[in-house]
Amino acid sequence: MSEYITGNSKTVLPDVSPLIEIQELDVEYWQQQDWVKVIEGLSLQIFPGETFGLVGESGCGKSTTANAMLGFRPRAARYTRGSVWFENKDLLKLTEAEKQKIRGAKISLVPQNPTTALSPGMRVGRQISETLLYHRYCKDRKEARERTLELFKQVSLKNPEKIFEKYPHQLSGGQQQRAITAMALACNPKLVVLDEPTTGLDVTTQAQILDLLVELRSRFGITMFYITHNLGVVAQICTRIAVMYAGRLVEVAPTEELFSSPRHPYTQGLIASVPRVSKPSRKQSLLLRGLLRRDELPPGCPFAPRCEFVHERCLQEAQVLETVADNHQVACWRWKDVPIFRDRFYRDVAIEYERPINLSPDQQRLLEVKNLVIGYGSTGKGRFFKKPPSIIVDGISFDILPGETFALVGESGSGKTTVARALTGLTPYTKGEIDFLNAYDLTQPVDKRTDEILRSVQFIFQNPDASLNPRQRVSKIIGRPLQRFFSLSGKELRIRIEKLLEDVRLDQSYYNRYPDELSGGERQRIAIARALAAEPTLLLCDEVLSALDVSVQANILELLIELQTRKKIAYLFITHDLAVVRSIAHRVGVMYWGALCELGRVDEVYNAPSHPYTEMLLKAIPEPDPAQQMPHMRKDVGLIVTDMKYACPFAARCPVKLGVICEQQEPPWRIASETHMLRCHIPLEELPDRLSEVWQAVS
Amino acid sequence: MDTTISSKNVTAKKTRAFGLLSRIRRLPRGMLIGAGILVFYLFVALTGDYWTPYDYNQVGTGKPFEKPSSEHLLGTDQLGRDVFSRVVEGTDIVLYLALTSTLLATIIGGVLGLVSGFVGGWFDQVAMRVVDIVISIPFLVLGLLLISAAGPELAGSFQLLIFVIAFVYAPRIARMTRAVAIDLVTRDFVTAARTRGESIWSIVWHELLPNATGVILVELGVRAGYAPIFVGALGFLGLGVRPPIPEWGLMISENRPAIVSAPMAVFAPALALAVLVIGLNLFTDGMARLLGRTAINV
Repeated sequence: MSEYITGNSKTVLPDVSPLIEIQELDVEYWQQQDWVKVIEGLSLQIFPGETFGLVGESGCGKSTTANAMLGFRPRAARYTRGSVWFENKDLLKLTEAEKQKIRGAKISLVPQNPTTALSPGMRVGRQISETLLYHRYCKDRKEARERTLELFKQVSLKNPEKIFEKYPHQLSGGQQQRAITAMALACNPKLVVLDEPTTGLDVTTQAQILDLLVELRSRFGITMFYITHNLGVVAQICTRIAVMYAGRLVEVAPTEELFSSPRHPYTQGLIASVPRVSKPSRKQSLLLRGLLRRDELPPGCPFAPRCEFVHERCLQEAQVLETVADNHQVACWRWKDVPIFRDRFYRDVAIEYERPINLSPDQQRLLEVKNLVIGYGSTGKGRFFKKPPSIIVDGISFDILPGETFALVGESGSGKTTVARALTGLTPYTKGEIDFLNAYDLTQPVDKRTDEILRSVQFIFQNPDASLNPRQRVSKIIGRPLQRFFSLSGKELRIRIEKLLEDVRLDQSYYNRYPDELSGGERQRIAIARALAAEPTLLLCDEVLSALDVSVQANILELLIELQTRKKIAYLFITHDLAVVRSIAHRVGVMYWGALCELGRVDEVYNAPSHPYTEMLLKAIPEPDPAQQMPHMRKDVGLIVTDMKYACPFAARCPVKLGVICEQQEPPWRIASETHMLRCHIPLEELPDRLSEVWQAVS
Repeated sequence: MDTTISSKNVTAKKTRAFGLLSRIRRLPRGMLIGAGILVFYLFVALTGDYWTPYDYNQVGTGKPFEKPSSEHLLGTDQLGRDVFSRVVEGTDIVLYLALTSTLLATIIGGVLGLVSGFVGGWFDQVAMRVVDIVISIPFLVLGLLLISAAGPELAGSFQLLIFVIAFVYAPRIARMTRAVAIDLVTRDFVTAARTRGESIWSIVWHELLPNATGVILVELGVRAGYAPIFVGALGFLGLGVRPPIPEWGLMISENRPAIVSAPMAVFAPALALAVLVIGLNLFTDGMARLLGRTAINV
């Protein structure tokens, strides 16, 4: 009998038999006329009552494992070896009819994307009752309806009756995820498989869903298998964690132990790669090098090509999981030689690029935005039926200095991206002042801009899959802006493209490749190279990291910082990830519902006094450290109460709302320092106390 | 700091497979069959005139509507002409008419559709309503209108027929490519091109067209199959290819009355046409799949 602790709750790992057990599983996929091994020799056990986390980079086989756990074989996949034991049956050997009885009833799935997981043409309530009726959990429609309403209440959906009658598109992302969770819980399953359930959601919504899962777990004792790439999330919710690399488990340990003393070099790098809010410094040498490449795996340890402790034996012979401590297994020949994580992590000198920024008011501004109003809809140009445009961004003002990184943060729908699009001239309705280099007016639409402006302001998109033309080779993608702005051709063009590839640290072999031959991180590098090709002075980065894996994120972040240091480009960095902001930005603007609510240097914004909304965002970030528990206060705090937009846009969600004054009067800007200001009716001196009171009261 | 990511191993693997034979073997099987059929048709079209047993225009080589025999492989038609010779010697005419006309239609329709979809707004509305009007006229009626407008001296000439087919098909192809363009313009790589201030033509040519080739190729394959039938229908009304040219569509309509007594006279050209259509479709389909890396999957 062993015992381990997670957060506040003590979990005892019983000597009982596992609820589900995967034994020596091999999975292969049919890829380009050949069977490719995706998972090799996977064995794991999940015990009743535990929350088992599986982490790893994209493409490492996480979702394939989830499929196996449901006994589901996707098209073009085959199970060549191994078994999945559940209730003394091998799920992989059952007939389809037998599996259908288990799926949804005893083992259920919460899929990654709630928007595609719910059927768009069917009312949400009916979709859940259908599950209940199919598995004969309820005998008729009426009973199923009652059970569904009860489930909605359990997953904290307000107004269950109303939600029951709604179609999926009428629900918000968080509500959809709750509905899906309710569906998974419908028949009281023994095991719930959660495949990245919070990945597409805002931090605040994610925090609420995590809270809900913790609550459901303690109430019903459900066993969970939680798949994610987010180490912060696993640290907060899981009791035991397995780290997967290229289809094999490299480390299995209880949460506390995994984060305090990870043994495998991969785990160490992964944990070190996660940007943290509390410890912003970056650990260069601990970051993972390179990428997971399926086609370059050695016969031995798959991680060997990226490992700094690699030995000859690692390349030849595959290692197996070996017990190194109670419940702690590592698959590494050299685990004894790998230094202790804490030593590496803290002794390592943080590399800080010199990027001092003179914030004095008389400093020349690169970009000055005043009372910017942006809307979509009618442009109102000589039409018969003029509709007023719907305003997305309502009067924001900020400035960017040359060579500075200014970050705009906020939840999805806050208008961050719209600001960037307006700066590139892509929004139909732009009013206010945008002064660029004291010479150009950026409120002009893109087709009226001079080449000089088009060249100086470049945009990097969120998703490199969509921003690179799939039918163009890398050379053409990077070459287009060079031809367009500098009229380069022939040898000159080639040299410049190669130089740019070097700038983003890719070698010449990429010159003739197509985007689909590249990984996500490489694609984003190409997108960065394309933007750099124009030699911009202002680079608009729209969520450039959110489509990438943590380890890749860390490397791209490094690259961006290095490029800024060398080329003195200013960044407008748009993101929802406050931890990333901490590592890259000089100043931050926090946006809520089309308005700025706080503005200041990074260290100022992340410390008190801060705006209630900033505070809420910061509190919602799951830190990759099980010792730092997120406050469990989000159940009622921060849910939108009404759809009304008050004078203070945040009033509808504010936990410290004063009363009518917030609804009727625009809050004043309160000046905390020369560079730091926030917009709230509560005086600065009172804010921190009031906020901490609230967190204490609800936790 | 040396974190340059190398991809040498991958390229090495790729170059090894560069041999022509192994490359051909990797092509989709359907496409190879299609290519085989097309090569065969091309061969027949180019050499047919030299090895047919009879001249296509030789009347009375046997009795009218004779059954297939060793003398007349596919029997004879209503004037006692050898059907086999006529089908073989008609191949080049059919290929020429069908391919040039659909190619022309694809170019006109493709450009119109892509530009219209990209520009959008007012231009798009007008262009597409005009296209709708043209599509709403049954194509035989439209063909008749165009041919009669061209005057008697042009009637029956290949150039006029090609123009008529292109005019009838182009709006249909424009509709398809516009739908593709509408989907593509929202993609970020098109937005990126717009923020570079590229011209309409440059965006259509560099960004949109390469991603629309799959759809265009499939459309081309289908349309090219219909073209000979359309020509035959016009011929039936006396406005298509003039007899005695052995155009398959014309042959089908000429011998239609004897479909029961001498089925081969109708079926032989029909079968030749059907196989051509299958070959074209297999080939264009395979091409579309081979060009697979597009933003839109066919």
